[in-house]
Amino acid sequence: MWKPVCFFVFNLSLLSGAATSAVAQAPEEFSLSPQELAQDAIQKQRSGDLQGAVPEYQQFLKIHPEATAIHSNLGAALAGLGRFEEAVSEYKVALRQSPALPGARLNLGLAYYKMGHIADAATQLERVHAEDPRNHQAVLLLGDCYLRMGRNKDVIRVLAPDEKKDPGDLAVAYMLGTAYIRDKQVEPGQVLVDRILRNGDSAEAHLMLGTAKMNIQDFAGARDEFAKAVALNPNLPDVHVLYAQALHLTGDSDQSEEEFKAELGKDPYNFEANLQLGASAREEQNLDGAERYFARALATRPGDPGVRYQLALIAIDRQKLDQARQMLETLVRESPQFTEAHVSLSLVYYRLKRPADGKRERDIVQKLTAEAQARQPGVKTQ
Amino acid sequence: MKLTRREWLRTASYVCASLSGWTPARALEAEPLFTEVPASASGINWVHENAMSPSRYLPEALGPGCAFLDFDNDGWMDIFLVNSGPSDFWRPPKPVRNALYKNNRDGTFTDVTEKAGVSGGYFGMGVAAGDYDNDGWPDLFITAYGKCILYKNNHDGTFRDVTDKAGVATPGWTTSAVWFDYDNDGKLDLFVCSFVDYSGVKKLECGNNKIGRNYYCVPRVFKPTASFLYHNNGDGTFTEVSKGTAIAQALGKGLGVVATDINNDGRTDLFVANDTVQNFLFVNRGRGPGGRWNWDEIALQAGVGFSESGRPRSGMGVDAADLDGDGWQDLFVANVDHEMYSIYQNNKDETFRDVAQRNGVARATQLLSGWGMKYFDYDNDGAIDLFLANGHPDDMIDNYSMNVKYREPLLLFHQDDDGKLHDVSNIAGPVFQKYFAARGLAVGDFDNDGALDVLVGVNGGAPLLLQNKAAKGNNWLGLTLEGKTCNRDAIGAKITWTAGGHKRSRLKSNGGSYLSSHDRREVLGIGHATKIEELEIHWPAPSEQVDKFTNLPLNRYLRVQEKGDIV
Repeated sequence: MWKPVCFFVFNLSLLSGAATSAVAQAPEEFSLSPQELAQDAIQKQRSGDLQGAVPEYQQFLKIHPEATAIHSNLGAALAGLGRFEEAVSEYKVALRQSPALPGARLNLGLAYYKMGHIADAATQLERVHAEDPRNHQAVLLLGDCYLRMGRNKDVIRVLAPDEKKDPGDLAVAYMLGTAYIRDKQVEPGQVLVDRILRNGDSAEAHLMLGTAKMNIQDFAGARDEFAKAVALNPNLPDVHVLYAQALHLTGDSDQSEEEFKAELGKDPYNFEANLQLGASAREEQNLDGAERYFARALATRPGDPGVRYQLALIAIDRQKLDQARQMLETLVRESPQFTEAHVSLSLVYYRLKRPADGKRERDIVQKLTAEAQARQPGVKTQ
Repeated sequence: MKLTRREWLRTASYVCASLSGWTPARALEAEPLFTEVPASASGINWVHENAMSPSRYLPEALGPGCAFLDFDNDGWMDIFLVNSGPSDFWRPPKPVRNALYKNNRDGTFTDVTEKAGVSGGYFGMGVAAGDYDNDGWPDLFITAYGKCILYKNNHDGTFRDVTDKAGVATPGWTTSAVWFDYDNDGKLDLFVCSFVDYSGVKKLECGNNKIGRNYYCVPRVFKPTASFLYHNNGDGTFTEVSKGTAIAQALGKGLGVVATDINNDGRTDLFVANDTVQNFLFVNRGRGPGGRWNWDEIALQAGVGFSESGRPRSGMGVDAADLDGDGWQDLFVANVDHEMYSIYQNNKDETFRDVAQRNGVARATQLLSGWGMKYFDYDNDGAIDLFLANGHPDDMIDNYSMNVKYREPLLLFHQDDDGKLHDVSNIAGPVFQKYFAARGLAVGDFDNDGALDVLVGVNGGAPLLLQNKAAKGNNWLGLTLEGKTCNRDAIGAKITWTAGGHKRSRLKSNGGSYLSSHDRREVLGIGHATKIEELEIHWPAPSEQVDKFTNLPLNRYLRVQEKGDIV
């Protein structure tokens, strides 16, 4: 869906003098001058020969590590090969040397996005967006990051101005509409759903309708909408996850699991898919498998309390009680209302033969439970 | 490869399904595992009155319980059915009563309620049958919204209400109850689950649902209460002894209880399923220093209080049995839809692990709400199976949920050689394709063929009597245990038997299911084995008696008295 932006802005003539002296130090397999090396690499990259371009860029940078644009170009070539970790390193070097280098920060954000490091991607994209609010690709990508992070209000904040400027942009309408619906702002969400529907039967429209039905707990209706969305465009972000969730809620756990896996097939770092498959693997006592899913979920949302809680449960399952204790203590310190974490921490304390601490946590659980039940809506005394 | 009858049925049905496109159930032409005995055949014409009102008072939704008991000691299981009745929110427009049906020994029953004097008088919920006075005749304890009733058996086909004399009236809203001997003094004590505080002016309406009508409140809105433990004084009276113990301190919303021994220490423990708050596991630690009985509530640390993800659920039906044959009692709890039911495997250290997912039970029950249930060996192959009665508490759920229904199917699971429970409902017979607002469930052999039958209480409907046809071809031995120094019902006895090279054991737990009471006899299934090589009975304390038997006859019931007498 998203591709790195290549900026071939390197002025070779600026390096011609330095390159001449460096050629003598080049290994034999590169008989070209530094200038020729760079030109050849750029040519290869333009023609799609990324495998050929990368070593030439690398060789050139041994001689001219100060060549900021070449670092950026190398990053783009590496990203094109799926070597995102190395791409990130190159982009970082480029940005250190020239923080305003056009395109490099967007590409860095994109590399993080591809790696599933959504929070890191969002950080970079926020900077791009702040420096250049008109950069449409950055806005779209940032909106998508926020959507994946569950930050619906931020999606609305960054996309609403773009939607006003160009109401015909269905990609923006889709993401913004989804955020509105997930944020329970049904009316503006409905406006955008209608707009998408006017453009014919689209996967986006069914996805949004399904999400709206999920919100009102019409799980069967949502399931049917998501099924249509999957049929129309199985590559739509989150489409398999949402379908999987609806399938789970309507009792088809086996098919639900398949859909979660389908989402991971196209987006290995999808947070929801990794979280749900991890939880399912843990329930089936496949702890190694669960940990792998949770690790990827954490890569997408670093520090997510729900994932960390699941990892603490795995530590309990593995009888690593002290490790679980530390994880849970941190969680309840950060989130004092996290009842489930208090439950598990109490269990761990008891099993560590610390009954006083266990009782203290248990009392907290009872208090939180009673408070939650007292807040039940719609109750009146006769 | 030799297939068992059940395996053959399953395989055959799959083959038919794949060849013709039929569903396995439709393809099945062989005899069902359980068949419905219609009222026209059984003579059981009683129908539960749930008193459903426009206000939707919650007690309307929770009954009824049911029981198999041999009230006249003729060796044939009779049936007791609990009904609602007058309460502070309902005056019956016409008389409403419980029902006692005498077994005519020919597959039919006769209503003897009026003569027996067990009609009730309050808004009845559940029933627990037990011989509390050790006279050899089963007595009846009826729970209710309002006041409980203890009916003492007069040995002549009648009962008398001894509630007030016995001191077990237990006002409020009580649900399941269980007889057991917590202090091993040879007399049955009584634990009574208390549900929520629903008294006086504290009744609540939860407003209108999506179709503009009152609906049954989710019990989260009601305050929890403590359950009751009555000590049997041995003179026809009881003393409530929970004060100052963990039982009184544990405020819950109890719906189901089973008395079992989770740590094999010879003292009977209690597992209580609570609705919307954590379950309780009361471990019996014996007499404390001040003479007060010591109960330890350990559900949370044992891993049975909350879901695996730390959430309280809506626990309803419970049971205990040694599911995996390792000599330790495993537990079960049924919850409401989307919470899934739990099979708690005993880790042998007072902790448990939920293995429902691994057994396929969690997924099969994802959209169901479970009440009555029982771990038992329905086909007498020696391994414990599982029967579940389901139904959603909200009668209007169909109007706003496409997937969760008010009436739900029964479920039957068979334990295969892999040690896992497999859903065989599809091949179990037409009744498993029907839908019920099931609540209580009792298991008992009403036709004395050694195959345990099932009785299901249906909210606002006729009870469901299911005849077991699944055990044909397998051998069995039925035991009626009679304690002398221990409690007469021998609750807490441990039975060990060896047949066909398999050694199995069973603890005689009591209670379980929901609002209901089972046949007190134990049926030992031995599959195709042709004899029981050895049978051993460890009678519960205060008895220290261990009786051993060999060369026992098969396929019949035996009455075994403590100290080795076979009657």
